[in-house]
Amino acid sequence: MWPEGYGRRVLREVDSTNAEAARIAGDLAGPEWILGLRQTSGRGRRGRAWVMPEGNFAATLVMRPAEAPPVVALRSFVASLALGDALAAIGGTEAGLALKWPNDVLLNGGKVAGILLEGGAGHLCIGIGVNLISAPEAGQVEAGAVRPVSVLEELGVRVTPEAFLDRLAEAYAAREQAFVTYGFVPIREAWLARAARLGEVITARTAREETVGTFETVDAAGNLVIKTPEGPRAIAAADVYF
Amino acid sequence: MSKNTHETDVAFIEALAKLLRENDLTELEVNREYGEDDSLNVRVSRAAPPAVMAAPAPVVTQAAAPAPVAASATADAPEDPAAHPGAVTSPMVGTVYMQAEPGAPAFISVGAQVKEGDTLLIVEAMKTMNHIPAPRAGTVKRILVEDGAPVEYGAPLVILE
Repeated sequence: MWPEGYGRRVLREVDSTNAEAARIAGDLAGPEWILGLRQTSGRGRRGRAWVMPEGNFAATLVMRPAEAPPVVALRSFVASLALGDALAAIGGTEAGLALKWPNDVLLNGGKVAGILLEGGAGHLCIGIGVNLISAPEAGQVEAGAVRPVSVLEELGVRVTPEAFLDRLAEAYAAREQAFVTYGFVPIREAWLARAARLGEVITARTAREETVGTFETVDAAGNLVIKTPEGPRAIAAADVYF
Repeated sequence: MSKNTHETDVAFIEALAKLLRENDLTELEVNREYGEDDSLNVRVSRAAPPAVMAAPAPVVTQAAAPAPVAASATADAPEDPAAHPGAVTSPMVGTVYMQAEPGAPAFISVGAQVKEGDTLLIVEAMKTMNHIPAPRAGTVKRILVEDGAPVEYGAPLVILE
């Protein structure tokens, strides 16, 4: 069922759902989902291209959160959990689903989706792209990146973007309700229960440095905690590689 | 138990310090007896050297001297960019980006005019790209961070005048 209090807009074509969301963010009556059936200039984080053939999913949830920026940013976890919920509902199983810090959703070890959160003056855009029917070839993504996969290949289920939006909006609203009511605690617990490579050695890389160590946990502020020979390190921003 | 006593003492001393300021006193001394072998002696004073004391020593100094400390902080710190009235500080721990994406022009440069709400830079944490808006219109006087650098909460990013 479509969640109460959330707007729903479906656009036949849009440059990027996050760009459209930022344009309307000032006049929002409440949180709103914008679904783009075609995206002409979809984008990923830091300008990475996001290829979207028709039939795949591209939507943005735009809202005006009341919390301070460090709390708003925790919606990375809320969104990735909800996306995992929606995929589990469609596939009928949790098996094969895992989360990579802070907001990558993996299906059978492959990258099935991308989430791009952008905050501005009082608003937050949560852009979500899902490879519903097709994924880019492995050669199209950057070296070292997780292998792209699609819902159709991995789960054997064909789902339309509109139907997927209904699932996702419902799942998101439930997780958002828990987040607003109880804070990060239940979100963190549920996220850790699905975390990939917990207790294993991972690499966190920024433009300036690389940290290799054991993935211990995610702390109460959402930081990635890696145990290194020099002691534990809490990392707020980095790309994670397995 | 000892934590509660400590907190009660701190609250008591803070109340004394407030009393001192509000009544423009320079010194105040109190002895309190709590049963046979428990007592609290506090003397708070506003003259330099600041404070003397009995019970939880470090606290008394802190509680007794707020006014002079505040005054000297402003006087001693014109070089601290965070204290500059035009400083825009980071609302979170994260990584700074000076452009919307690699290869794009920087949002701002020194000398640039900005309007209220214009993006100055991005601070990323938890893969959330936070566009930091100009809190008011002005000229960019200084940029205190570099692209890709980590920043702490409250760190000065830009000075606008």
